[in-house]
Amino acid sequence: MEFAQTTAVVAWALPYLGALLSLALSKLGRVRDYIAASTLGLSAISATLLAREVFSGHGGLVTWSVDWVPGMGVSLGVYVDTLSGAMALIIAWLCFLIGVYSLEYMAHDPGRTRYWFFFDFFVGSMLLLVMADNLLIMFLGWEGTGLASYALIGHWYTDEQGRWVGDPGRTALGVPMWFPPSHSGLRALTFTRLGDVGFLLGIGVLYSLTGTFSIPEIAHSSGTWAAWLAARGLLLPFLLAFSLGAMAKSAQFPFHEWLVTAMTGPTSVSALIHAATMVKAGVYFLLRFAPIFKLAEHQLMHTLPAGAEAIHAYFTFITLIGAFTAFFMATQALVARELKLILAFSTASQLGYMFMALGSAGLMEELANGILAGFSHFMSHAIFKAALFLGAGAIIHAVHSKYVDDMGGLAGHMRYTFAAMLVTALSLAGVPPLMGFWSKDSVVEAAYESGVGLAFALGVVTAGLTAFYSTRLVLRTFFYEGSENVRHLEAEHRLHEAHPLMLAPYFLLAVATLLLGLTWPAVGPEILSKVASNVLALEEAPHVEVHLNPFLLGVSLPLVFGGIGIGWFAYQTSSGRRLLVAIRQSEPLSAIQDFLYDRWYINSIYYRVIVGGFAWLSRNGFRWFDSLVIDGFYHRLLPQSTWEASAIGWRFEKGVVDRGYHERLVSAVLGVGRTLRRSQTGLINHYLLMFFAGLAALILAFLVWVV
Amino acid sequence: MVLEQPYMFYAVLIPILGSLILPLLEDALGGKGIAALATMLLAIPAALTAHLALAAGVDEPIADPVFFQADSIGSFSMLLDSLSAPLAISIGLVTTLISVYSWRYMQHRFEEFEAEGETPPGWGVYYMLFVMFAAAMMGTVLSTNLVEFYLFLEVSLLPSFLLIAFYGYGNREKIALLYLIWTHVGALVFLVGALIVGLHAGTFDYYDPAALTPMMGLGQLVPTSLRMLTVVALCIGLFVKLAIFGVHIWLPYAHAEAPTPVSALLSPNLIGIAAYALVRIVYVLFPFEFASLTPYTLPLALFTIIYGGLMALAQDDFKRLLAYSSVSQMGYLLAGVSTLTAAGVAGAMVHYAAHAVGKALLFATAGVLIAQLHGLRSISKMGGLAPKMPITASLALIGFMHITGIPPSLGLWSEILIVMGISSTTTGRSTLYFVALLAALLIGIGLSTAYAFLTMKRIFFGQPSEAAEKAKEAGMGLLGPMMVIAAVGIALFIWPRLLIDPLLASLRILLG
Repeated sequence: MEFAQTTAVVAWALPYLGALLSLALSKLGRVRDYIAASTLGLSAISATLLAREVFSGHGGLVTWSVDWVPGMGVSLGVYVDTLSGAMALIIAWLCFLIGVYSLEYMAHDPGRTRYWFFFDFFVGSMLLLVMADNLLIMFLGWEGTGLASYALIGHWYTDEQGRWVGDPGRTALGVPMWFPPSHSGLRALTFTRLGDVGFLLGIGVLYSLTGTFSIPEIAHSSGTWAAWLAARGLLLPFLLAFSLGAMAKSAQFPFHEWLVTAMTGPTSVSALIHAATMVKAGVYFLLRFAPIFKLAEHQLMHTLPAGAEAIHAYFTFITLIGAFTAFFMATQALVARELKLILAFSTASQLGYMFMALGSAGLMEELANGILAGFSHFMSHAIFKAALFLGAGAIIHAVHSKYVDDMGGLAGHMRYTFAAMLVTALSLAGVPPLMGFWSKDSVVEAAYESGVGLAFALGVVTAGLTAFYSTRLVLRTFFYEGSENVRHLEAEHRLHEAHPLMLAPYFLLAVATLLLGLTWPAVGPEILSKVASNVLALEEAPHVEVHLNPFLLGVSLPLVFGGIGIGWFAYQTSSGRRLLVAIRQSEPLSAIQDFLYDRWYINSIYYRVIVGGFAWLSRNGFRWFDSLVIDGFYHRLLPQSTWEASAIGWRFEKGVVDRGYHERLVSAVLGVGRTLRRSQTGLINHYLLMFFAGLAALILAFLVWVV
Repeated sequence: MVLEQPYMFYAVLIPILGSLILPLLEDALGGKGIAALATMLLAIPAALTAHLALAAGVDEPIADPVFFQADSIGSFSMLLDSLSAPLAISIGLVTTLISVYSWRYMQHRFEEFEAEGETPPGWGVYYMLFVMFAAAMMGTVLSTNLVEFYLFLEVSLLPSFLLIAFYGYGNREKIALLYLIWTHVGALVFLVGALIVGLHAGTFDYYDPAALTPMMGLGQLVPTSLRMLTVVALCIGLFVKLAIFGVHIWLPYAHAEAPTPVSALLSPNLIGIAAYALVRIVYVLFPFEFASLTPYTLPLALFTIIYGGLMALAQDDFKRLLAYSSVSQMGYLLAGVSTLTAAGVAGAMVHYAAHAVGKALLFATAGVLIAQLHGLRSISKMGGLAPKMPITASLALIGFMHITGIPPSLGLWSEILIVMGISSTTTGRSTLYFVALLAALLIGIGLSTAYAFLTMKRIFFGQPSEAAEKAKEAGMGLLGPMMVIAAVGIALFIWPRLLIDPLLASLRILLG
């Protein structure tokens, strides 16, 4: 095995080893924690060495593979091109940083064995997912991250009220709007597995058409299988089914609900799995497959226009779903009261941006530009959102409450945290020159160039909404005084800066978002052209540059600053606060607020229609069909009717047969007998008389017969 | 490869005959001695099949030399090949370890009987029936002849009937009778089909142990007018056993009210044999007729998956929930078989093994809860047990992962194979077919995930219930065997090629 291959294998295998070690060494307590976290560090170093190999020559590609189930054509293999190399690099370092944060954040948790086991298991699965050279290994990693996500969302499975998400007691359309951890874990697993069914079905279809799971081979034969499917009108249904897993994993509408309640997990988990990495698996799926689908479209263009149209329709669909999710989730972030929930809505919204960019990529002149827009937003979001979550964790830790109402005025107490959160929130808002500004600009530009006007419009409006809720987030936590809770903590001198082990990771990430942003016009083109230099099925972008479109800036920047300005007005000025009170008192306006707060009632509709529907079907199906009809038929009606039949038979037997033989016949015989008996008087002369009479009769009969 | 001696037959026969002396030794050995001896008896076929599968691999069939032969009946042999290996290995694993588990569990059950003032037959009879039942299942799976298959099936049915009647819960005598009648209706309908085949073909063999080949298309010797009827009879007989929708209603009674170790053999091992027989017997004898039925059996299978899942959701009794879950799981087996693709059928056989591991763990979990929580089976009275019983909770989670196909469990591989088999039926079909199939799978797999992890939540998570206050972890007597079963399930996830590679290779030939 060459050095480069070793680094690739070590990168994903070491975290799995760390998972096993954290089980085996569970008695060691803190030492075990450090061992588990250090395997992540080694994995990150390994991913760095791997990236260096991939980005510096060697054809920009590292592959390695061993047979796993040869009969099925499954090998355990990695295919690290510049895309997966870059993904692995970012993911591995984020995992390590958040692992370090966890050392302190989870230091006093009694369930740390479980925590570290699933944390490391997650990292291994995530890295395997992005490096997999075939669909089955990708699926394996995919499901592995799902299991870890389930376990970590439900980490505090004893469901104490403090761990809930939502408002205890609140209902919307009669559906409870609070979610204990064990419930949230169940939701996450069920929602994402629905999508996975489509993913797996798609894998099966591809395998039956190509005879392979290998992603490069499927890419090379994309024209053939796509033509085959297109000729039968199956291409669009196939593409949608195949992408269902990505939509569910990346919390795109209509699968977004699970991500919201996933916030019951420890904040470190929210940062890692539900912001920076796992929810990006769907984005990675599109980064990986959009070029392959596009390749198929090129090949079908002339031979089978209907097929090319199907692929076009698919990309349009992804663009619209992404744009709608971006807008729809941003509106919910406007009114959320829990710090983590604001970030969760925001995450789903930003994932929508990435979907929009990657859908648009397939509709643009230059595919690579769209892909790179999606990638750069993936990268910038991973950095700033992880930092925001980690900072939020520190704040929640400090104020002992997850509600922004219990925060405010913390700027002076947690200065470094404030600085980090301010930079990253402004990056989220898209304020130049932070990294988030550049990447969001490229996303909006992609939507503009895609020609899907609605998507572009939603994308731009979302930029304004994002700026508003980012401002609100910062102001409500660090300024906006008036929280009893904070005053109380201040009086007791219990407010202080986060532990260095927690602070360091998010502070570093904030620095990264700042530095990357400042230097982006210079380093961006180089980074991006390297990332695009050798991507499966993607022709190298002819000319990668970071540029600004004045028209787009003219549209989006006023919205961004407008959003910030409105936020400032609402939460920092007294007339703004009076306005907020007025809104709360106005019936139509507070109805809108409730509509947004209750997540457009989508959750309630799901519970009423789908969950309720199946529960109804289950309950009544069991009571009226299984118990009454089926059980009743076999175990009541059938035995009963057999019984009845046998009773009828018995009556016949008794009434007709029995009585026929044993009563009627007997009585008839007896009757004859009686008659006879009457004649049997015992007198010899009577017998003699009868004898002669009989004899006479016989003779008579004989005579009659003869004559 | 043909063995020198009919070792497999001996390995099955020794426990069946040996079990007969167990009641006589009860006074001499005591309960523990009986349990140990019974486990050793069951370890014989388990060790032999595992050894053969591991040492020689099942790429090539391994058969006993013919040990019985008669005109117009055919020849009896035993066959371990890629198709029977997943079943034989699972049966060996589960029966042996549940035999260990029984020792501790039945102590609890006997105490319960004593408290109720009843005196069921003792350890000797329990283990005699248990061993006979378990070894006969192994014999059924390894058989090569319809008469042999049927004889072993009967030998498995009667002891299981008595186990329910003697040691079961609730209205156990009535339910035992119900079980006996239902399984015999199934067995007899199957027997009718088998007799028609055998009498027309002049042999009851479905596998030629000398040539090591299946008797492909032997059913051609049945007159055309009778052929379809025969296939339908064979299928219905097996569907009753599999508890496919429509003829499933016996299963929830029997599997819920059987003594828990017996439930842990009925669900994981016994019923799935019918899916194997559909391929090994029905498809082999009537390849064309069976293929013409699959357009109906695939939707039936998908419906059974959904229906079983819905019914499972409605249950409050944990064992009944598991029983309905088995109905649903047998739907997956039938779905895989109905695709008649190498992947689908291989998936069904691997899923037999995955389900065996998963459901054995889950019924054993139900048993742990019954033993630790004073007979508690009502899920709504549980909740929050995980902090008190972390090992049980982990084992139950591994069990649910096996039946829902979540890594690292063998169930992932079977799920992949079955869905692959199903998806390959979509090529060349209409868009509507594709969408309908996707919808059915979404609902079916969605329901399976929902009932599995909802149950996990209701039993183990959440705030502590009244039951959780007094709960404590069970001893190794119950948990030890479960840990071994779970470990094997995970080991098979890592090394699935032991089962999958030979299966796919031979099925590609068998299915053409």
